[in-house]
Amino acid sequence: MATENPYAQYHVVKKGDTLSKIAEEYYGDKMLYPKIFEANKDVLEDPNKIKPGQKLRIP
Amino acid sequence: MRFAKVFVALAATTMMLIGCASQKEPAEKAVAQIESSVAEFRADAEKYAADELKSVDESITKLKNSLASKDYSMVVKAAPSLASTVASLKQTVAAKKADADAMIAAATAEWGEISAKVPQMVEAIQSRVDTLGKSRKLPSGLDKATFDTVKTDFESMKTEWTDAAAQFASGQADAAVRKAREIKAKGEMILAKLGMAPAA
Repeated sequence: MATENPYAQYHVVKKGDTLSKIAEEYYGDKMLYPKIFEANKDVLEDPNKIKPGQKLRIP
Repeated sequence: MRFAKVFVALAATTMMLIGCASQKEPAEKAVAQIESSVAEFRADAEKYAADELKSVDESITKLKNSLASKDYSMVVKAAPSLASTVASLKQTVAAKKADADAMIAAATAEWGEISAKVPQMVEAIQSRVDTLGKSRKLPSGLDKATFDTVKTDFESMKTEWTDAAAQFASGQADAAVRKAREIKAKGEMILAKLGMAPAA
């Protein structure tokens, strides 16, 4: 089991968040949302379905 | 009367020769003991107290010269003082070695901690730099000039880390740790510029 990287950044999903909005916040480009989706496939099945309170890793 | 004078002179010479001969063995033994004592810690002394060792070696050479010129009484007289100096040097070397060992142990422990963190830091920064490099626009709080500086600093950080690891592998633990501290600080500065607050 891989240890968690203490320098990895996380985002806790708020009401109204989308992966595109999160990508724009962290990367400045909403089109980069697949990066976040790929990094969180263990908790996300669909990039369009995220829930408030989910903790997503921002690679 | 003349016979008496000759007799006295002969007697005195004989006594002197006997006296010298009786000091030969203790003199040789004293020098051998001093040399043997120094040999026990010579390697460490060369490392931790080279100047003091040089001075002791010079004194031993003088003693051996006196031995060679059969000045045994001088050797017997000077040997205790030199033996005491050697004993003192042995203690000094042992103390310096203990300090050096403790410093290496502390540096090795710190290296263990930092060397676990820096690669994780590099991984996190690399991922973000790669992603931002593909972005059509940088996020708020990060302008192009800052991002360019970050990329330059990050490349030097990776090179410095390779150097520090090589330094540690070559036994220069203290120097490697000093460099590692600077690298970690540089990494934290890069993380801050990228807006990546550490999870801790």
